[in-house]
Amino acid sequence: MKIKALLFIATLGCTTTALAQEASSPLQISGSVDTYYKYDFAKSANINTYFANEQNSISLGMIDLALKKTTGKASFVGELSFGPRGQSQSIPNAAGLYDEATNSFNIQNLYVSYAFTDKFSMTAGYMGTFIGYEVISPAANFNYSTSYLFGSGPFQNAGIKASYAFSDKVSLMAGLFNDWNVYQDFNGVSHVGAQLTVSPVTGWTAYLNVLSGRSAGAAGTGTILDLTTAYQITEQFKLGLNAADYTVSNDNGGYSGVALYPQYAFTKAVALGLRGEYFNYKGVGTAADVSVASLTLSANIKSGGLTFIPEVRFDSDKDFSQGFTKTNGINPAKSASQFSLAAVYAF
Amino acid sequence: MYAYAQSESLLPVDEQGKFIYYEVVPLEGTTKNALKDRVINYLKKQHKEIQFKSLQGDTAFIATGKMVINKTLLVMSHPSGEILYRFQAEVKEGKYRFWLSDFSFIPYQRDRYGNFVASTTIGASLERDPGKLNAAQWKEYQMQAAKYAKEFASKFKQFMVSKISIAESVPEKKVISKSW
Repeated sequence: MKIKALLFIATLGCTTTALAQEASSPLQISGSVDTYYKYDFAKSANINTYFANEQNSISLGMIDLALKKTTGKASFVGELSFGPRGQSQSIPNAAGLYDEATNSFNIQNLYVSYAFTDKFSMTAGYMGTFIGYEVISPAANFNYSTSYLFGSGPFQNAGIKASYAFSDKVSLMAGLFNDWNVYQDFNGVSHVGAQLTVSPVTGWTAYLNVLSGRSAGAAGTGTILDLTTAYQITEQFKLGLNAADYTVSNDNGGYSGVALYPQYAFTKAVALGLRGEYFNYKGVGTAADVSVASLTLSANIKSGGLTFIPEVRFDSDKDFSQGFTKTNGINPAKSASQFSLAAVYAF
Repeated sequence: MYAYAQSESLLPVDEQGKFIYYEVVPLEGTTKNALKDRVINYLKKQHKEIQFKSLQGDTAFIATGKMVINKTLLVMSHPSGEILYRFQAEVKEGKYRFWLSDFSFIPYQRDRYGNFVASTTIGASLERDPGKLNAAQWKEYQMQAAKYAKEFASKFKQFMVSKISIAESVPEKKVISKSW
Protein backbone atom coordinates (compact mmCIF):
# COMPACT_ATOMS: atom_id res chain seq x y z
CA MET A 1 0.00 0.00 0.00
CA LYS A 2 2.83 2.33 0.97
CA ILE A 3 4.64 1.48 -2.24
CA LYS A 4 1.51 2.19 -4.26
CA ALA A 5 1.13 5.57 -2.58
CA LEU A 6 4.77 6.41 -3.25
CA LEU A 7 4.41 5.39 -6.89
CA PHE A 8 1.29 7.52 -7.16
CA ILE A 9 3.11 10.54 -5.74
CA ALA A 10 6.09 9.91 -8.02
CA THR A 11 3.78 9.70 -11.05
CA LEU A 12 2.04 12.87 -10.00
CA GLY A 13 5.42 14.58 -9.65
CA CYS A 14 6.46 13.49 -13.14
CA THR A 15 3.18 14.71 -14.62
CA THR A 16 3.53 18.08 -12.94
CA THR A 17 7.08 18.41 -14.22
CA ALA A 18 6.01 17.46 -17.74
CA LEU A 19 3.21 20.05 -17.72
CA ALA A 20 5.56 22.70 -16.38
CA GLN A 21 8.07 21.88 -19.11
CA GLU A 22 5.44 22.31 -21.80
CA ALA A 23 4.67 25.82 -20.62
CA SER A 24 8.19 27.07 -20.04
CA SER A 25 11.57 26.61 -21.68
CA PRO A 26 14.68 25.95 -19.59
CA LEU A 27 16.57 28.97 -18.31
CA GLN A 28 19.19 29.86 -20.91
CA ILE A 29 22.57 30.91 -19.60
CA SER A 30 25.12 32.19 -22.05
CA GLY A 31 27.89 34.71 -22.28
CA SER A 32 31.46 35.43 -23.23
CA VAL A 33 34.86 36.30 -21.84
CA ASP A 34 37.49 38.23 -23.77
CA THR A 35 41.00 39.50 -23.39
CA TYR A 36 43.45 41.15 -25.81
CA TYR A 37 46.93 42.45 -26.52
CA LYS A 38 47.46 45.49 -28.72
CA TYR A 39 50.70 46.89 -30.12
CA ASP A 40 50.66 50.22 -31.94
CA PHE A 41 53.58 50.61 -34.36
CA ALA A 42 54.14 54.21 -33.19
CA LYS A 43 54.22 52.92 -29.58
CA SER A 44 51.27 55.06 -28.59
CA ALA A 45 47.61 54.19 -27.90
CA ASN A 46 46.74 56.12 -31.11
CA ILE A 47 43.74 54.31 -32.64
CA ASN A 48 41.25 55.02 -29.95
CA THR A 49 38.00 53.58 -31.22
CA TYR A 50 36.00 51.71 -28.66
CA PHE A 51 37.72 48.70 -27.10
CA ALA A 52 41.16 47.24 -27.89
CA ASN A 53 42.65 50.62 -27.07
CA GLU A 54 45.31 49.95 -24.42
CA GLN A 55 48.86 50.01 -25.80
CA ASN A 56 51.35 47.17 -25.24
CA SER A 57 49.32 45.56 -22.51
CA ILE A 58 47.51 42.31 -22.03
CA SER A 59 44.19 43.90 -21.24
CA LEU A 60 40.69 42.93 -20.30
CA GLY A 61 37.54 43.01 -22.33
CA MET A 62 34.70 41.79 -20.18
CA ILE A 63 32.85 38.87 -18.79
CA ASP A 64 29.33 38.95 -20.14
CA LEU A 65 26.54 36.89 -18.59
CA ALA A 66 23.09 36.61 -20.11
CA LEU A 67 19.96 34.91 -18.81
CA LYS A 68 16.89 34.23 -20.89
CA LYS A 69 13.68 32.51 -19.92
CA THR A 70 10.50 31.93 -21.89
CA THR A 71 7.26 30.92 -20.26
CA GLY A 72 4.41 30.52 -22.69
CA LYS A 73 4.32 33.74 -24.70
CA ALA A 74 6.31 35.80 -22.23
CA SER A 75 10.07 36.02 -21.99
CA PHE A 76 12.78 38.07 -20.39
CA VAL A 77 16.44 38.73 -21.09
CA GLY A 78 18.86 40.02 -18.47
CA GLU A 79 22.46 40.54 -19.56
CA LEU A 80 25.18 41.88 -17.29
CA SER A 81 28.79 42.64 -18.11
CA PHE A 82 31.83 43.26 -15.97
CA GLY A 83 35.16 44.63 -17.15
CA PRO A 84 36.21 47.73 -19.10
CA ARG A 85 34.51 46.74 -22.37
CA GLY A 86 31.23 45.93 -20.69
CA GLN A 87 31.35 48.53 -17.96
CA SER A 88 32.63 52.09 -18.15
CA GLN A 89 33.58 51.89 -21.87
CA SER A 90 30.07 51.11 -23.03
CA ILE A 91 27.66 51.21 -20.09
CA PRO A 92 26.67 54.40 -18.28
CA ASN A 93 26.34 54.56 -14.51
CA ALA A 94 23.15 55.67 -12.75
CA ALA A 95 24.02 59.31 -13.42
CA GLY A 96 24.44 58.60 -17.13
CA LEU A 97 28.23 58.96 -17.02
CA TYR A 98 30.90 56.61 -18.35
CA ASP A 99 32.95 56.68 -15.19
CA GLU A 100 35.09 53.73 -14.09
CA ALA A 101 35.07 54.84 -10.45
CA THR A 102 31.32 54.98 -10.04
CA ASN A 103 30.13 52.52 -12.64
CA SER A 104 27.82 50.01 -11.09
CA PHE A 105 24.89 49.13 -13.34
CA ASN A 106 26.62 46.73 -15.77
CA ILE A 107 23.45 46.20 -17.80
CA GLN A 108 23.63 45.31 -21.49
CA ASN A 109 20.07 44.09 -21.85
CA LEU A 110 17.19 44.08 -19.40
CA TYR A 111 13.81 43.64 -21.01
CA VAL A 112 10.61 41.66 -21.06
CA SER A 113 8.80 40.57 -24.17
CA TYR A 114 5.37 39.19 -24.97
CA ALA A 115 4.52 37.42 -28.22
CA PHE A 116 0.81 38.02 -28.75
CA THR A 117 0.92 35.86 -31.87
CA ASP A 118 3.60 34.23 -34.01
CA LYS A 119 3.78 37.51 -35.93
CA PHE A 120 3.24 40.22 -33.37
CA SER A 121 5.26 40.89 -30.22
CA MET A 122 5.97 43.75 -27.86
CA THR A 123 9.13 44.39 -25.88
CA ALA A 124 9.94 46.90 -23.15
CA GLY A 125 13.09 47.65 -21.21
CA TYR A 126 16.73 48.44 -21.85
CA MET A 127 17.95 46.86 -25.07
CA GLY A 128 21.05 46.70 -27.25
CA THR A 129 20.57 49.26 -30.00
CA PHE A 130 18.91 48.25 -33.25
CA ILE A 131 21.18 50.71 -35.10
CA GLY A 132 24.39 49.60 -36.81
CA TYR A 133 26.36 46.53 -37.85
CA GLU A 134 28.70 46.02 -34.92
CA VAL A 135 27.76 45.35 -31.32
CA ILE A 136 29.37 45.55 -27.89
CA SER A 137 29.74 41.78 -27.43
CA PRO A 138 33.01 40.65 -29.05
CA ALA A 139 31.45 37.22 -29.66
CA ALA A 140 29.05 38.72 -32.19
CA ASN A 141 31.60 40.83 -34.11
CA PHE A 142 34.07 39.51 -36.66
CA ASN A 143 36.69 42.20 -36.06
CA TYR A 144 37.83 42.78 -32.49
CA SER A 145 38.43 46.51 -32.69
CA THR A 146 35.34 48.45 -33.65
CA SER A 147 34.41 50.91 -36.36
CA TYR A 148 33.98 54.68 -36.06
CA LEU A 149 30.33 54.13 -37.01
CA PHE A 150 29.89 51.82 -34.03
CA GLY A 151 31.57 54.22 -31.62
CA SER A 152 29.55 57.20 -32.79
CA GLY A 153 26.10 55.60 -32.84
CA PRO A 154 23.93 54.55 -29.92
CA PHE A 155 24.91 51.52 -27.81
CA GLN A 156 21.58 50.90 -26.13
CA ASN A 157 18.02 52.13 -26.46
CA ALA A 158 15.67 51.87 -23.54
CA GLY A 159 12.09 51.95 -24.70
CA ILE A 160 8.99 50.09 -25.74
CA LYS A 161 8.68 48.60 -29.19
CA ALA A 162 6.24 46.56 -31.23
CA SER A 163 7.33 44.14 -33.95
CA TYR A 164 5.17 42.68 -36.67
CA ALA A 165 6.23 40.11 -39.26
CA PHE A 166 4.25 40.60 -42.48
CA SER A 167 5.88 37.52 -43.96
CA ASP A 168 9.14 35.55 -43.78
CA LYS A 169 10.66 38.32 -45.88
CA VAL A 170 9.34 41.54 -44.39
CA SER A 171 8.91 42.74 -40.82
CA LEU A 172 8.58 46.09 -39.11
CA MET A 173 9.50 47.32 -35.67
CA ALA A 174 8.39 50.68 -34.31
CA GLY A 175 8.84 52.11 -30.86
CA LEU A 176 9.25 54.95 -28.43
CA PHE A 177 12.64 55.31 -26.83
CA ASN A 178 14.62 57.23 -24.23
CA ASP A 179 17.63 59.33 -25.18
CA TRP A 180 20.55 57.18 -26.37
CA ASN A 181 22.21 55.00 -23.72
CA VAL A 182 20.30 56.14 -20.64
CA TYR A 183 18.20 54.27 -18.11
CA GLN A 184 16.02 57.27 -17.37
CA ASP A 185 14.93 59.94 -19.81
CA PHE A 186 15.01 63.34 -18.08
CA ASN A 187 13.13 65.16 -20.85
CA GLY A 188 10.43 62.55 -21.26
CA VAL A 189 10.36 59.65 -23.69
CA SER A 190 11.70 61.74 -26.53
CA HIS A 191 12.72 59.50 -29.40
CA VAL A 192 10.82 57.54 -32.01
CA GLY A 193 12.45 54.75 -33.91
CA ALA A 194 11.66 52.12 -36.49
CA GLN A 195 13.33 49.23 -38.25
CA LEU A 196 12.19 47.71 -41.52
CA THR A 197 13.68 44.27 -42.07
CA VAL A 198 13.71 42.91 -45.60
CA SER A 199 15.04 39.54 -46.76
CA PRO A 200 14.69 39.66 -50.56
CA VAL A 201 16.52 36.39 -51.20
CA THR A 202 17.80 33.57 -49.04
CA GLY A 203 20.92 34.70 -47.27
CA TRP A 204 20.39 38.42 -47.73
CA THR A 205 18.89 40.52 -44.97
CA ALA A 206 18.73 44.31 -44.88
CA TYR A 207 17.71 46.51 -41.96
CA LEU A 208 16.59 50.06 -42.64
CA ASN A 209 16.71 51.95 -39.37
CA VAL A 210 15.64 55.37 -38.23
CA LEU A 211 15.86 56.99 -34.80
CA SER A 212 14.93 60.57 -34.17
CA GLY A 213 14.45 62.79 -31.13
CA ARG A 214 15.76 65.60 -29.01
CA SER A 215 17.90 64.49 -26.10
CA ALA A 216 17.92 66.32 -22.77
CA GLY A 217 20.08 69.44 -23.12
CA ALA A 218 20.76 68.85 -26.83
CA ALA A 219 21.13 71.77 -29.24
CA GLY A 220 18.78 70.24 -31.78
CA THR A 221 16.84 67.19 -32.84
CA GLY A 222 19.11 64.34 -33.83
CA THR A 223 18.05 61.97 -36.59
CA ILE A 224 19.97 58.90 -37.57
CA LEU A 225 19.27 56.95 -40.76
CA ASP A 226 21.05 53.64 -40.92
CA LEU A 227 21.33 50.78 -43.38
CA THR A 228 22.75 47.53 -42.07
CA THR A 229 22.85 44.59 -44.40
CA ALA A 230 24.62 41.27 -44.85
CA TYR A 231 24.53 38.80 -47.72
CA GLN A 232 25.82 35.25 -47.39
CA ILE A 233 26.62 34.92 -51.07
CA THR A 234 28.16 31.46 -50.91
CA GLU A 235 28.84 29.08 -48.07
CA GLN A 236 32.30 30.65 -47.77
CA PHE A 237 31.74 34.28 -48.72
CA LYS A 238 29.74 36.87 -46.83
CA LEU A 239 29.48 40.56 -47.56
CA GLY A 240 28.26 43.08 -45.02
CA LEU A 241 27.57 46.78 -45.34
CA ASN A 242 26.77 49.54 -42.89
CA ALA A 243 25.95 53.07 -43.98
CA ALA A 244 24.63 55.78 -41.69
CA ASP A 245 23.88 59.46 -41.58
CA TYR A 246 23.30 61.36 -38.37
CA THR A 247 22.24 64.99 -38.40
CA VAL A 248 21.50 67.30 -35.51
CA SER A 249 19.11 70.03 -36.58
CA ASN A 250 20.04 73.71 -36.81
CA ASP A 251 23.48 72.86 -38.20
CA ASN A 252 24.66 71.24 -34.99
CA GLY A 253 26.82 68.59 -36.56
CA GLY A 254 26.51 64.86 -36.78
CA TYR A 255 28.33 62.27 -38.86
CA SER A 256 28.04 60.06 -41.88
CA GLY A 257 29.95 56.98 -42.87
CA VAL A 258 30.07 53.71 -44.68
CA ALA A 259 31.79 50.43 -43.87
CA LEU A 260 32.13 47.33 -46.00
CA TYR A 261 32.74 43.88 -44.48
CA PRO A 262 33.84 41.13 -46.90
CA GLN A 263 34.52 37.84 -45.08
CA TYR A 264 35.76 34.52 -46.40
CA ALA A 265 35.64 31.23 -44.49
CA PHE A 266 38.40 28.87 -45.60
CA THR A 267 37.10 26.16 -43.29
CA LYS A 268 34.52 26.03 -40.50
CA ALA A 269 37.36 26.95 -38.13
CA VAL A 270 39.33 29.55 -40.08
CA ALA A 271 38.02 32.73 -41.69
CA LEU A 272 39.48 36.00 -42.87
CA GLY A 273 37.61 39.30 -42.92
CA LEU A 274 38.30 42.85 -44.00
CA ARG A 275 36.63 46.03 -42.83
CA GLY A 276 37.03 49.13 -44.96
CA GLU A 277 35.51 52.28 -43.53
CA TYR A 278 35.14 55.92 -44.47
CA PHE A 279 33.81 58.19 -41.75
CA ASN A 280 32.99 61.90 -41.79
CA TYR A 281 32.38 64.17 -38.80
CA LYS A 282 30.03 66.99 -39.77
CA GLY A 283 31.25 70.40 -38.71
CA VAL A 284 29.11 72.38 -36.28
CA GLY A 285 28.06 75.77 -37.66
CA THR A 286 30.73 77.04 -40.02
CA ALA A 287 33.34 74.49 -38.96
CA ALA A 288 34.59 72.26 -41.74
CA ASP A 289 33.89 68.53 -41.88
CA VAL A 290 36.74 66.17 -41.03
CA SER A 291 37.10 62.59 -42.12
CA VAL A 292 38.98 59.39 -41.34
CA ALA A 293 39.47 56.16 -43.27
CA SER A 294 40.28 52.81 -41.81
CA LEU A 295 41.24 49.35 -43.02
CA THR A 296 41.15 46.37 -40.68
CA LEU A 297 42.15 42.81 -41.54
CA SER A 298 41.14 40.14 -39.03
CA ALA A 299 41.27 36.38 -38.86
CA ASN A 300 38.89 34.24 -36.81
CA ILE A 301 40.39 30.93 -35.70
CA LYS A 302 37.85 28.86 -33.80
CA SER A 303 38.18 25.84 -31.60
CA GLY A 304 35.01 24.95 -29.75
CA GLY A 305 33.85 28.05 -27.93
CA LEU A 306 37.18 29.83 -28.27
CA THR A 307 37.98 32.28 -31.07
CA PHE A 308 41.42 33.81 -31.62
CA ILE A 309 41.33 37.10 -33.49
CA PRO A 310 44.69 38.29 -34.82
CA GLU A 311 44.16 41.69 -36.41
CA VAL A 312 46.06 44.45 -38.19
CA ARG A 313 44.56 47.91 -38.62
CA PHE A 314 45.59 51.00 -40.56
CA ASP A 315 43.83 54.33 -40.02
CA SER A 316 44.30 57.47 -42.07
CA ASP A 317 43.49 60.81 -40.48
CA LYS A 318 44.33 63.54 -42.97
CA ASP A 319 42.59 66.22 -40.88
CA PHE A 320 44.39 65.36 -37.62
CA SER A 321 41.06 64.90 -35.83
CA GLN A 322 42.08 61.75 -33.94
CA GLY A 323 45.24 63.02 -32.28
CA PHE A 324 47.52 60.32 -33.73
CA THR A 325 51.16 60.86 -32.88
CA LYS A 326 54.48 59.67 -34.24
CA THR A 327 56.86 57.41 -32.32
CA ASN A 328 58.09 60.30 -30.13
CA GLY A 329 54.54 60.70 -28.82
CA ILE A 330 54.57 64.44 -29.58
CA ASN A 331 54.55 65.13 -33.31
CA PRO A 332 51.12 64.67 -34.89
CA ALA A 333 50.72 61.92 -37.46
CA LYS A 334 48.31 61.50 -40.34
CA SER A 335 48.12 57.77 -39.91
CA ALA A 336 48.31 55.03 -37.32
CA SER A 337 48.69 51.29 -37.47
CA GLN A 338 48.41 48.54 -34.92
CA PHE A 339 48.44 44.81 -34.39
CA SER A 340 46.22 43.10 -31.85
CA LEU A 341 45.53 39.57 -30.76
CA ALA A 342 42.31 38.83 -28.92
CA ALA A 343 40.91 35.67 -27.40
CA VAL A 344 37.15 35.47 -27.06
CA TYR A 345 35.41 32.54 -25.40
CA ALA A 346 31.65 32.28 -25.91
CA PHE A 347 29.49 29.85 -23.97
CA MET B 1 34.06 -0.66 -27.70
CA TYR B 2 33.54 3.11 -27.34
CA ALA B 3 34.10 3.63 -31.05
CA TYR B 4 31.58 0.91 -31.82
CA ALA B 5 29.00 2.48 -29.54
CA GLN B 6 29.58 5.83 -31.17
CA SER B 7 29.28 4.58 -34.74
CA GLU B 8 26.10 2.80 -33.73
CA SER B 9 24.61 6.12 -32.70
CA LEU B 10 25.31 7.77 -36.07
CA LEU B 11 23.00 7.58 -39.06
CA PRO B 12 23.81 5.14 -41.86
CA VAL B 13 24.96 6.56 -45.21
CA ASP B 14 23.47 6.08 -48.68
CA GLU B 15 25.28 5.28 -51.96
CA GLN B 16 26.50 8.88 -52.19
CA GLY B 17 27.96 8.77 -48.71
CA LYS B 18 25.21 11.05 -47.32
CA PHE B 19 23.55 10.46 -43.97
CA ILE B 20 20.07 9.01 -44.31
CA TYR B 21 17.31 7.63 -42.14
CA TYR B 22 15.23 5.31 -44.31
CA GLU B 23 12.33 3.08 -43.43
CA VAL B 24 9.63 1.10 -45.24
CA VAL B 25 6.55 0.51 -43.13
CA PRO B 26 3.90 -2.05 -44.15
CA LEU B 27 0.34 -1.25 -43.11
CA GLU B 28 -1.74 -4.05 -44.55
CA GLY B 29 -5.31 -3.24 -45.45
CA THR B 30 -4.79 0.50 -45.56
CA THR B 31 -5.53 2.23 -48.81
CA LYS B 32 -3.15 4.52 -50.61
CA ASN B 33 -5.57 7.42 -50.24
CA ALA B 34 -5.92 6.92 -46.49
CA LEU B 35 -2.13 6.92 -46.09
CA LYS B 36 -1.89 10.00 -48.26
CA ASP B 37 -4.37 11.86 -46.06
CA ARG B 38 -2.43 10.90 -42.96
CA VAL B 39 0.84 12.24 -44.36
CA ILE B 40 -0.91 15.50 -45.27
CA ASN B 41 -2.43 15.72 -41.81
CA TYR B 42 0.91 15.05 -40.19
CA LEU B 43 2.61 17.81 -42.18
CA LYS B 44 -0.20 20.20 -41.27
CA LYS B 45 -0.03 19.30 -37.60
CA GLN B 46 3.76 19.62 -37.42
CA HIS B 47 4.02 22.75 -39.57
CA LYS B 48 6.22 24.55 -37.05
CA GLU B 49 8.82 21.79 -37.23
CA ILE B 50 8.50 20.69 -40.84
CA GLN B 51 7.28 22.59 -43.91
CA PHE B 52 5.70 20.98 -46.94
CA LYS B 53 7.50 21.96 -50.15
CA SER B 54 6.16 19.94 -53.05
CA LEU B 55 4.23 16.93 -54.22
CA GLN B 56 5.69 14.54 -56.81
CA GLY B 57 2.98 12.71 -58.69
CA ASP B 58 0.21 12.41 -56.16
CA THR B 59 1.84 10.05 -53.69
CA ALA B 60 5.30 11.46 -52.90
CA PHE B 61 5.64 14.32 -50.45
CA ILE B 62 8.70 16.49 -50.00
CA ALA B 63 9.19 18.74 -46.99
CA THR B 64 12.01 20.47 -45.18
CA GLY B 65 12.48 20.63 -41.47
CA LYS B 66 14.83 21.78 -38.80
CA MET B 67 15.86 20.65 -35.36
CA VAL B 68 17.41 22.95 -32.82
CA ILE B 69 20.53 21.65 -31.11
CA ASN B 70 20.86 22.60 -27.48
CA LYS B 71 24.13 22.92 -25.64
CA THR B 72 23.55 21.51 -22.20
CA LEU B 73 26.08 21.40 -19.41
CA LEU B 74 24.76 20.85 -15.89
CA VAL B 75 22.51 23.86 -15.26
CA MET B 76 23.46 25.64 -18.48
CA SER B 77 21.47 25.26 -21.64
CA HIS B 78 21.02 27.30 -24.75
CA PRO B 79 20.55 26.61 -28.46
CA SER B 80 23.89 26.22 -30.23
CA GLY B 81 22.63 25.65 -33.75
CA GLU B 82 20.10 24.01 -35.99
CA ILE B 83 20.22 21.04 -38.32
CA LEU B 84 18.19 21.38 -41.51
CA TYR B 85 16.98 18.26 -43.33
CA ARG B 86 14.80 17.05 -46.15
CA PHE B 87 11.88 14.76 -45.46
CA GLN B 88 10.36 12.62 -48.16
CA ALA B 89 7.42 10.23 -47.85
CA GLU B 90 5.84 7.98 -50.46
CA VAL B 91 2.66 5.98 -50.11
CA LYS B 92 1.37 2.85 -51.87
CA GLU B 93 -1.45 0.40 -51.23
CA GLY B 94 -0.80 -1.15 -47.83
CA LYS B 95 2.59 0.44 -47.20
CA TYR B 96 4.58 3.63 -47.12
CA ARG B 97 8.20 4.62 -46.94
CA PHE B 98 9.92 7.74 -45.72
CA TRP B 99 13.39 9.09 -45.33
CA LEU B 100 15.27 12.01 -43.83
CA SER B 101 18.34 13.19 -45.73
CA ASP B 102 20.42 16.22 -46.80
CA PHE B 103 21.34 17.13 -43.24
CA SER B 104 23.17 20.44 -42.86
CA PHE B 105 24.23 22.40 -39.80
CA ILE B 106 23.83 26.12 -39.16
CA PRO B 107 25.54 27.47 -36.04
CA TYR B 108 23.72 29.94 -33.82
CA GLN B 109 25.17 33.16 -32.57
CA ARG B 110 23.88 35.36 -29.80
CA ASP B 111 22.50 38.58 -31.22
CA ARG B 112 22.52 42.08 -29.72
CA TYR B 113 19.36 41.36 -27.75
CA GLY B 114 20.68 38.22 -26.08
CA ASN B 115 18.74 35.82 -28.33
CA PHE B 116 20.31 32.93 -30.23
CA VAL B 117 19.84 33.25 -33.97
CA ALA B 118 21.27 31.57 -37.08
CA SER B 119 24.68 33.05 -37.92
CA THR B 120 24.39 32.13 -41.59
CA THR B 121 21.72 30.95 -43.99
CA ILE B 122 23.74 28.35 -45.83
CA GLY B 123 24.21 25.19 -43.83
CA ALA B 124 27.34 23.05 -43.86
CA SER B 125 26.72 19.47 -44.91
CA LEU B 126 26.74 17.25 -41.84
CA GLU B 127 28.94 14.66 -43.59
CA ARG B 128 31.70 17.21 -44.08
CA ASP B 129 35.04 16.79 -42.32
CA PRO B 130 35.11 19.75 -39.92
CA GLY B 131 38.88 19.61 -39.36
CA LYS B 132 40.69 18.81 -36.15
CA LEU B 133 39.67 21.97 -34.27
CA ASN B 134 35.95 21.23 -34.27
CA ALA B 135 35.89 17.44 -34.71
CA ALA B 136 34.43 16.58 -31.29
CA GLN B 137 31.69 19.17 -31.55
CA TRP B 138 30.82 18.07 -35.09
CA LYS B 139 30.56 14.45 -33.99
CA GLU B 140 28.12 15.59 -31.32
CA TYR B 141 25.96 17.27 -33.99
CA GLN B 142 25.99 14.08 -36.08
CA MET B 143 24.91 12.06 -33.06
CA GLN B 144 22.15 14.49 -32.18
CA ALA B 145 20.89 14.33 -35.78
CA ALA B 146 20.71 10.54 -35.52
CA LYS B 147 18.86 10.73 -32.21
CA TYR B 148 16.43 13.26 -33.59
CA ALA B 149 15.81 11.23 -36.77
CA LYS B 150 14.93 8.16 -34.69
CA GLU B 151 12.56 10.16 -32.50
CA PHE B 152 11.02 11.81 -35.56
CA ALA B 153 10.50 8.42 -37.19
CA SER B 154 8.91 7.01 -34.09
CA LYS B 155 6.54 9.98 -33.82
CA PHE B 156 5.66 9.83 -37.51
CA LYS B 157 4.98 6.09 -37.47
CA GLN B 158 2.88 6.43 -34.34
CA PHE B 159 0.80 9.10 -36.04
CA MET B 160 0.30 6.96 -39.13
CA VAL B 161 -0.78 4.00 -37.00
CA SER B 162 -2.92 5.89 -34.52
CA LYS B 163 -4.97 7.31 -37.35
CA ILE B 164 -5.78 3.76 -38.42
CA SER B 165 -7.24 2.89 -35.07
CA ILE B 166 -9.26 6.10 -35.02
CA ALA B 167 -10.46 5.74 -38.58
CA GLU B 168 -11.18 2.03 -38.65
CA SER B 169 -12.24 1.07 -35.16
CA VAL B 170 -15.93 1.07 -34.41
CA PRO B 171 -16.76 3.51 -31.63
CA GLU B 172 -17.39 1.68 -28.40
CA LYS B 173 -20.88 2.06 -26.97
CA LYS B 174 -20.81 3.08 -23.36
CA VAL B 175 -23.46 1.29 -21.36
CA ILE B 176 -24.29 2.70 -17.97
CA SER B 177 -25.46 0.07 -15.60
CA LYS B 178 -27.43 1.01 -12.56
CA SER B 179 -26.84 -2.30 -10.86
CA TRP B 180 -24.42 -2.21 -8.02
